[in-house]
Amino acid sequence: MFQKLKNFYHKLGSYPWFYKISGKVIPFVGFFSISLIVISSIWGLFFSPTDAVQGDVYRIIYFHVPAVSVSQVIYYSMSVAAAVFLIWRMKMAGVYIKSLAPIGAAFTFIGLLSGAIWGQPTWGTWWVWDARLTSTLVLFLFYLAIIGMQSTFASRKSADTAVSIITLVGVVNLPIVKKSVDWWNTLHQPASISISGESSISSEMLIPLLLSILGVYLFVFFTGLLFMRAEISSREQNKEWFKKLSSNN
Amino acid sequence: MIYFIKILKKEFLIYSRKSSSFISPVVFFLISISLYPIGISNDPDILKNLAPGLIWITVLLSTLISFQNIFSEDYEDGSIELLLASGQNLSLIVLIKIFVNWIFSCLPIIILSVLSVFLIYFPQEGLKSLIISLLIGTPTICLFGALAGALSLGKNSITGPALMMPLSLPILILGTQAINYSLNGINFSSNILLLTAILVFLLPIILFASVGALKLHFN
Repeated sequence: MFQKLKNFYHKLGSYPWFYKISGKVIPFVGFFSISLIVISSIWGLFFSPTDAVQGDVYRIIYFHVPAVSVSQVIYYSMSVAAAVFLIWRMKMAGVYIKSLAPIGAAFTFIGLLSGAIWGQPTWGTWWVWDARLTSTLVLFLFYLAIIGMQSTFASRKSADTAVSIITLVGVVNLPIVKKSVDWWNTLHQPASISISGESSISSEMLIPLLLSILGVYLFVFFTGLLFMRAEISSREQNKEWFKKLSSNN
Repeated sequence: MIYFIKILKKEFLIYSRKSSSFISPVVFFLISISLYPIGISNDPDILKNLAPGLIWITVLLSTLISFQNIFSEDYEDGSIELLLASGQNLSLIVLIKIFVNWIFSCLPIIILSVLSVFLIYFPQEGLKSLIISLLIGTPTICLFGALAGALSLGKNSITGPALMMPLSLPILILGTQAINYSLNGINFSSNILLLTAILVFLLPIILFASVGALKLHFN
């Protein structure tokens, strides 16, 4: 089992292998993610019950929660990739960070935007300087710094290393930011879903929410594979294996 | 050991001979502090409430002027390359550079921040917390500045400040909170301890990261 995992890890570092496998996986992941998002949206928007306090406004939860949760997960996964890149110099980790950063930034932005639209009718304001909003904004700034850093280095390897360093420093700092803004101000409602404890949301609302979260995670997987393939093809366009592959198709 | 003392002396000499290195942050600080009453209001009551935040933000912004100084000149005249090739402990050299930069760019501002008592009516009883929080908070900001400077060497881009600002956010929050606590008569030592903890925790991490970032420029 361990040997298999190790083999898989080593194979993952190879561009041609990844390119071949991802090409086979993409259609399935794409189909499942988009159908899950469509199903959960229809379920959440039309069939789940109306909230007793917030009315129909709460339905934006089916976009807000998945986007915000995936934006954090992407950042943490990027920091793992950054550590892998700095320790083992695995080129694929650099591709991963570069491709996932714009996706993460996009979902953080969707989270902030949907939060603002949700906040307007419920809190009466588009934006408050609340702990969670602020730490999400800081996460967004980190994403922007990572994306901006990509273009400042001429060599690909230096840029990947620089971005990995920033990602790791950011992941060390994010919990500090989170805690310090927590002490500073909190207005946001506490999290509705908890893995360990009891969720404070009825199961009729919970199931479409979980489906939409799953759909968005799969969607990130899908777009991540697409972006990584694009990045690999731009890095390897002059290599023999890539030319052979593109001439076959 | 003698080697590092020599480097320390050299850094001191460079900074003291180049007056702009410590005068420009000071001038920036004084200009912005005197702009606040004009731009916001000359009412002592309004300024008094805003003063802790204004001072901290100004200090934070004035480090943006000086953080490029840490490595940029050594990079241009090639001495960083020699340091990298010398085989000495690089993180210690970087630490010396950050320390000297802090003495010349942050310490004068911290001393001058006493003036804010007259200029923006900062309450006198909060002066102790202001000085202590600045003394402990600004080294961390200089650390972030060193990392940002090392990453954006030789490029005049926005990436350095864009990296520094989100990183410095906890320092800003804890620093201003300490002052507000002391003004309201609450014990502010917990915030100072947290600031110290952040400094001690981040010091080795940022030093390693800056050394790694410096090496990137010489492949």
